[in-house]
Amino acid sequence: MKEIFPDVFIENNKIFTKNLTPGEKVYGEDLIIRDDIEYRNWNYTRSKLAAGLKNGLKEFPLKKGMKVLYLGVASGTSASHFSDIINKEGLLYGVDIAERVLRELIIHAEKRENIVPILADSRLPENYSSLVLEKVDLVFEDVASSDQIEIFIRNCDYYLKQNGYAIIAIKSQSIDVTKDPEIIYKESLKELKKHLTIIDKVKLDPYEKHHLLVVLQKK
Amino acid sequence: MRVYIVSTLIGIFGINDRKKVVYFKSFGNDPKKSAEKFKLSQIDFVDEEKQSKIQLGKKGYREFIFGYRKPNEKNIENNNIGEKFVKDNLIKLAMEKGFAKTPNEVTQFITKVTIQLTKVHIKKSVTRDGLIIQVNGALEDLDKSINVYIERLREWYGLHFPEINRKISGHEKFIQIVSKYGKRENIKENDLQELINNSMGADLKDEDIEIMRVFATKIQEMINLRESLSKYSEKVLKEVAPNLLNIIGTTLATKIIAKSGGLKKMSRMPSSTIQLIGAEKALFRYLHGKGKSPRHGIIFSHPLIQNSKDENRGKMARLIASKISIASKIDYFSKEFKGNALKDEINRKAKIILSKK
Repeated sequence: MKEIFPDVFIENNKIFTKNLTPGEKVYGEDLIIRDDIEYRNWNYTRSKLAAGLKNGLKEFPLKKGMKVLYLGVASGTSASHFSDIINKEGLLYGVDIAERVLRELIIHAEKRENIVPILADSRLPENYSSLVLEKVDLVFEDVASSDQIEIFIRNCDYYLKQNGYAIIAIKSQSIDVTKDPEIIYKESLKELKKHLTIIDKVKLDPYEKHHLLVVLQKK
Repeated sequence: MRVYIVSTLIGIFGINDRKKVVYFKSFGNDPKKSAEKFKLSQIDFVDEEKQSKIQLGKKGYREFIFGYRKPNEKNIENNNIGEKFVKDNLIKLAMEKGFAKTPNEVTQFITKVTIQLTKVHIKKSVTRDGLIIQVNGALEDLDKSINVYIERLREWYGLHFPEINRKISGHEKFIQIVSKYGKRENIKENDLQELINNSMGADLKDEDIEIMRVFATKIQEMINLRESLSKYSEKVLKEVAPNLLNIIGTTLATKIIAKSGGLKKMSRMPSSTIQLIGAEKALFRYLHGKGKSPRHGIIFSHPLIQNSKDENRGKMARLIASKISIASKIDYFSKEFKGNALKDEINRKAKIILSKK
């Protein structure tokens, strides 16, 4: 078991995080034990950040103790690994517009105690300002919406600390299904540059078609 | 003197013009109760707010400003400076006012309250038309299963009486015959007598035939269940979408509400989207540059479209989609009944389309 980033491990080309709630699975992932510590397999075909790591992402700002705003948290497949990494001292505010999937997240939130599920439209960050107690260290966005860049920028303006980090999974087909993905990426990066500094980017093919993961910082 | 009354997940704060906390009343330490009170404070006065007015009134405060809508209250200012101050400093203020001793305690409590709040939101999000979506799914599942089981029974019973499959092509009749009569010799249908006498099927034991009858009976029950679901759907549609039901009937109304994701979503769709619901494969193929644009999706099953000549189908589809769009808006918003007027409109305009050369 080799540690590639703080609290992110690799063994046999598979990625792992330490299980915050040993014995519990979140989405049927494999659990393995090494030296009396239980690890959860971070499936890179189901989680965009893990796919980024698999494809050689060099900047990985997610760390223990961080406060994270996760837009598009859904049932918590990826968020559970975020929760493992940020540990008890951290807190993840998970926003999603769909009740059906957030319902699943609530079960895990109650067990892990570092996840706050919020049913809201991330287009209107003011609407959940009573539920997010502080500016966050990291904003992560994985929403399939044509205005996903604007949503990202708006939430970073509202909730991200100065010098905080931001990660977005750009889904080119959501923005415009008829355009070439490379053109969409170019236009999106141009818009993002106006507000944040790009520090790394990686394509998620073949795990996610036509997706670009971008890591930024609010400088 | 002015004071801003701010409602938070842990209780009510009073903040004056100089950003000083002049009042705090906690909602208690039951996360569920706190969530309920916070939710109530978004639309009405909670006890703690009423008390704040009394207590602060004694101290000389006369102007009370709230952040959320209250009945009969004019002093509402969204996102006022009091609100902003509290939101930016909630953890610190909570400790100052003795609500908790450490930031962790505050955060842990608020996390529990937010979870309770989200649970309430999720409970409230289930709408009656959501049931129609589930019924549609159940009907689709049933149809698939019934077909699979009937095919299986035909193969199975065909060992005993293969000739019946060609003669009785209707599934319901076939199921009836097997479950009612069992052995082919017992069948009292006149047009099958000759086939029975000359059948090349095997003579099976009683127990072999009996188990097939049980299977057939179960399939019949599923067919009856399907009918019940359809009737239930019609009942709910009468309550929830009477206009839509009137102009396109139970089957299509159930399907289209399900495929749209609910009445709320449907009421916001342009009629061109409604026109093509169900034809997504053809639509995106066209958008990527291949093939012609589709003219209709599931609304194709409407008799006016299905029975028209090919050249009129596009116009019919557009007409019906536009009326569906209007009907869904009336059903979601005003809830009046204009179904008959809409139906007459459709018929009138359809006549015009059909009469043109």
